[in-house]
Amino acid sequence: MGVAQNVVFGLVTGSYIAIAAIGFTLIYGIVNMINFAYGEYLTIGAFIGILTVGVLPLPLPVAAVVAMVGGGLVSLLLARVFFTPINQTGPVPMLLTSIGLGLALRNGIRLTAGRGSRYFDTETATLRFDGLPALSVGPVDLLGDVFVTSEQLVVVGCAVGVFVVVHTLLTRTDVGIAMRAMGDDESLARVRGIDTQRIRDNVWVLAGVLAALAGVLLGIQTNVSAGTGFSQILQILSAAILGGAGSPYGAIAGAYVIGLVLALSTVFLPTGMTGLSSAIAFLILIGVLLVKPSGLAGREVREA
Amino acid sequence: MSLLDVSGLDAGYGELQVLSDVDLTVADGEYVAIVGPNGAGKSTAMKSVFGIADRQGGTITFDGTDITSYPPETVIHEGLSYVPQTANVFPSLTVDENLRLGGYILDEIPTARREAIFERFPVLANRGNQTAGTLSGGQQQMLAMGCALMLDPDLLLLDEPSAGLAPDLVGEMFDRIDDVNDAGTAVLVVEQNAKEALRRCDRGYVLANGENRYEGSGDDLLNDEEVRRQFLGG
Repeated sequence: MGVAQNVVFGLVTGSYIAIAAIGFTLIYGIVNMINFAYGEYLTIGAFIGILTVGVLPLPLPVAAVVAMVGGGLVSLLLARVFFTPINQTGPVPMLLTSIGLGLALRNGIRLTAGRGSRYFDTETATLRFDGLPALSVGPVDLLGDVFVTSEQLVVVGCAVGVFVVVHTLLTRTDVGIAMRAMGDDESLARVRGIDTQRIRDNVWVLAGVLAALAGVLLGIQTNVSAGTGFSQILQILSAAILGGAGSPYGAIAGAYVIGLVLALSTVFLPTGMTGLSSAIAFLILIGVLLVKPSGLAGREVREA
Repeated sequence: MSLLDVSGLDAGYGELQVLSDVDLTVADGEYVAIVGPNGAGKSTAMKSVFGIADRQGGTITFDGTDITSYPPETVIHEGLSYVPQTANVFPSLTVDENLRLGGYILDEIPTARREAIFERFPVLANRGNQTAGTLSGGQQQMLAMGCALMLDPDLLLLDEPSAGLAPDLVGEMFDRIDDVNDAGTAVLVVEQNAKEALRRCDRGYVLANGENRYEGSGDDLLNDEEVRRQFLGG
């Protein structure tokens, strides 16, 4: 397969990682915690989608919306029960709590839903661009045959839609501007009269909605099992850190870097070593952090 | 009756007590300064009023309402605004967004009020889309005051407004405070620059070691031998 085809794969992978990473990084920047259970939020969203399609049964786009609403509510509920009560204890107790919560959720899902994988029943149309010149450089084809499935277009389209909505929310609405203000300075936010707990609740809902959408999109691409979200958490975390933890725009950039590196490394790595592709993504993460510790879009640390 | 009435205030941070038995009043439209040496508890007194420092005893009433137990996000609804000494703007937000959050608790910010703030602080007028973190120290201080004035408060609390400003900007900052006070807003200011603050204010308090030491009109304090010797450097 040529470079062009892998760019397509990379953009698709980057798209659902980006959707999830925005939620992850907002929690990091505003609630001030690393939520290691966040992968499970994707799984929960994907399963709500599967149930809605299979049991109710409703068409897939409606199921995606149901999953997003459900994901937002589950996220808020989990936060209220597990995270809000220990908000003042600092990042480390919250991180440990989230690791435990993730473990419990993952196994709880495995017990109720079983070990098997489930699939969204989708009809796939495939756009093929055959007969393009290979433009070979050594053993690597730069162009070559390219195909794009309708599902891939949906994933990328959803991501673009999410970017527009999140950007509008964060720059045009009071609650969005208050979220960014809290990321800057929670104490000053309170002086301005911002009810910080209400804003945190909003962040939890938004992050849950985004995680559920990412989970459904991931499920459409592959399948849904109890480990679906957990298999993505390192990529999501890396995208957020690469972009500058707390910055949604950085997380988007970081997600596409990770997605493209994962996909393209399969072209350049010798056959049999493609399993190393995720390791390369982390090497890039380490490299960027060595050069710019605050990440791609990160601000310099403010002096007191 | 006074607008702000602090009586017998003990305050500090957690276990630490900084203020003991501090009394303080500000009348409607009055301009009051708190001066004193470093560590006297001047800023703590102000932070207690706004619910940022921990009140450990005494009462704080504002306009007849007991606000002693109010957190900051509740205090601001009572008609007083607070400009912290540092970190008083959101650095990653634009000037416009900062001003918008200045009026966060309002359903809608009156256009006239926005314009009045740009008139008072012309340096902000053409910088609506500039990120606050890229403003100079003086511009940030003006923006912070502008944000606090978005609510058209009855009382404006200013913590060290001249700290960190270039010397030629200090006078301008005090002029702006005079303007705000002349327009009818009561002002309570904590200042390191004691002489200038006492020259400008109606009434002043000298705090030392967390306690009331002297109180009087600005001029009386400036001319008091003891105050001059102990607190104003002769």
